[in-house]
Amino acid sequence: MSAQIQGRYFGKGAPLFKLYFITAIFTVLTLGIYRFWAKTRIRKYIWSSVTGDDDSFEYTGTGLEKFLGFLVAIVVLAIYLGIFQLLLTFIGFSVIPQDNSPQAIAGQAAAINLSILAVVPLMLFAQYRARRYKMARTRWRGIRFGMENGAWGYVARALAYFVLVILTLGILNPLATFKLEKYMADRGWYGDGKFEQMGRWQDLYKGMKHVFIGIGLLIASGVLFAIGAPEEQLSLLILGGIGVFVAYFWLLIGLVYYRVYAFNYLTRHKVLDGQVTFDAQLETSTVIAKVIVGSIVIAVLMGVIFAVIAGVGAAVFAGAGATGELGAGSIVGGIVVVILYAAAFLVAGGLSLVMITQPIIEHAVNSITVFNSDHLDTIRQRSADSFADADGFADALDVGGAI
Amino acid sequence: MAYHALTQARFFDGEQGLRLDVDLQVDTAAETLRITHPDLPMGSQYWPLWAVRALSDHAREDQMILTLLADSALDSSLIMTARLTVDDPALITILTRLCPDLRKKDVARGTYRRVLTWTGGAVGALALMIFVILPAMANTLAAYIPIEREVAWGKTVVGGMERFLGGSGAGSLVCRNDDGVDALNAMTRRLTEGQDLEYELTIAVFDHPMVNAFAAPGGHVVLMRGLLAKADSPDEVAAVLGHEIGHVESRDVTRNALRSAGSAGLLSLVLGDFAGGGAAVLIAEWTLNASYTREAEAAADVFALEMLDASGTDAGGMADFFDKIAELQRKEGARSMPAFLASHPDSHARAHAARAFAENQSYGTTPILTKREWAALQNICKD
Repeated sequence: MSAQIQGRYFGKGAPLFKLYFITAIFTVLTLGIYRFWAKTRIRKYIWSSVTGDDDSFEYTGTGLEKFLGFLVAIVVLAIYLGIFQLLLTFIGFSVIPQDNSPQAIAGQAAAINLSILAVVPLMLFAQYRARRYKMARTRWRGIRFGMENGAWGYVARALAYFVLVILTLGILNPLATFKLEKYMADRGWYGDGKFEQMGRWQDLYKGMKHVFIGIGLLIASGVLFAIGAPEEQLSLLILGGIGVFVAYFWLLIGLVYYRVYAFNYLTRHKVLDGQVTFDAQLETSTVIAKVIVGSIVIAVLMGVIFAVIAGVGAAVFAGAGATGELGAGSIVGGIVVVILYAAAFLVAGGLSLVMITQPIIEHAVNSITVFNSDHLDTIRQRSADSFADADGFADALDVGGAI
Repeated sequence: MAYHALTQARFFDGEQGLRLDVDLQVDTAAETLRITHPDLPMGSQYWPLWAVRALSDHAREDQMILTLLADSALDSSLIMTARLTVDDPALITILTRLCPDLRKKDVARGTYRRVLTWTGGAVGALALMIFVILPAMANTLAAYIPIEREVAWGKTVVGGMERFLGGSGAGSLVCRNDDGVDALNAMTRRLTEGQDLEYELTIAVFDHPMVNAFAAPGGHVVLMRGLLAKADSPDEVAAVLGHEIGHVESRDVTRNALRSAGSAGLLSLVLGDFAGGGAAVLIAEWTLNASYTREAEAAADVFALEMLDASGTDAGGMADFFDKIAELQRKEGARSMPAFLASHPDSHARAHAARAFAENQSYGTTPILTKREWAALQNICKD
């Protein structure tokens, strides 16, 4: 008999928004220090909303751990980045001519790119560490997930694949997507059960079809321009213009389609402990609809909120203008406006979490099925992983994403 | 009635993935929660109510997940790995009432010391970086930048400043009246005579009403027309010029640019990304910058006084000029800015120091320019 489990998501908008807003206020009041606890609490909420067979997932990380991890990361990064930036600036001044010659501009651009490139390996490192930390702090039925160490191996591979993708103008992107996910997935565990990523990278090409169509349209439009421009054929130029417009959106949607396709494919070809398999039925249309609807609602709400704040501000300063000087009342009013303004930004952050991020997570969770789930009963606990840095590097370099 | 009614719950022992549908019963007399299932060792477990904890920020309001206080924390708060999912609303109510520390966040012993140690260590390391290592590196490295590069860079800075002040491009604001330029050169010559300067000075007057002057890398010094108009004697202008030459000679601008290249990214890393975070970074950077600039300003003042003295110019001009600046700041309300935020030291204090110095100038002084030269300098922007 093979049992199966359907994923279900129980999170609601209102409580999550409230949690986000309150923790965001604490974050501001503590000059940012509370953000580690804020993120932890939001993760706890979202993790516990995810259930399989009515058993909730659990996030066991703590804000304190994240805070200490951030301190570790910050010291390492401060020393690395501080010295690196200073040296780079010095080299920039000593070697690159400081005028408006083409060599000078090229040299300055190279220096800026170099300083960005210096952070890329660290960001990849942070990405792997963050995923590993989140895995290690996730439980289901009391059993820990886990991930083996391998962050530097990931950095080396990711850099190599990125170079490959750039050199092949994106044609080998599926290879990079597949191999990097396999590298991480194959190091994942649920208790004493090991994950394995099966499948072939070539299969992901089907998911690239809309990206390729978009690029094709872009090239075709370019050709229309090239033909139309010298002979000033307006109809060709208009057609080319429409072509670029359509190609842009096609490409944008094509990229979402690819991500969804890759997620589904990679999930369907994961195996846990050699027996448990998965299915994912994410739909591109649903994901895009949620993003668009969420964005529109947020835009309208924020428009109204900012209009109200602007109204309050105008009233305050009009009052000040009438008396000709800034009295105590208008100073208080000014402070109120500043506070409202900051609060509006917090609201915007909360809305995007509640209106876009959470609905997409909900859609993903609800679309996942676990097959042969009886085998999960035989999984045994794994020992705890300790992290000195938690996901502090991801926090410091801002690669953590929404949650 | 020591027992509450039996209810079902889901139990995970924290060792295996198997779910046990257990019977739960609260024993109010023994103050324990009894968990019963045939597969459990001895058939049941007893959880003391005082040690029962509920998981926080749980999304489902229709259930509660319980666990037990532990002695040490491995990868979570101070709780065991066993979990008990309770769906029965009646039992949830009872447990909420009977368990005294259900929502308590237990913290392992020594946590506060650990937090303090780590925070102290991190703050210390960052302070070392910002206040010692980066400035020291900047000071050392600034000396290795070839002078011709610095001169070229200074030219770009001056050109950028002209555009910023409303000029159409490099050189567009520079005043070029011949007699005025001669007077300016005479002043510079007398100030720098016998001085061993590292940089060849390029001194210019901008046609701008602002009462200000600045030094750029590589020996560039710019005075504004507004400053010449505000001054009542050439000695006052000489004091300002000496001050700016002080900045040039100690490579202040170059050092500052290097240092802030290192510390700017570092600060935004620490303060992070939250509402108002950008403003916090700006304020922190400004404060930091101001504290370095204040030291540099004081050093440039000393340099200027010595230069005035060596050239036989009355340092009283400097005192007079700072009094005017103080007056100007008072009018504009800039004095409301606290001293640690202001990039320049208190003008009264500077005037006072200059006056004290002037009183000790042992031998007779002569005005730095003749009356005619002074008039020419004041008209340098007239064609």
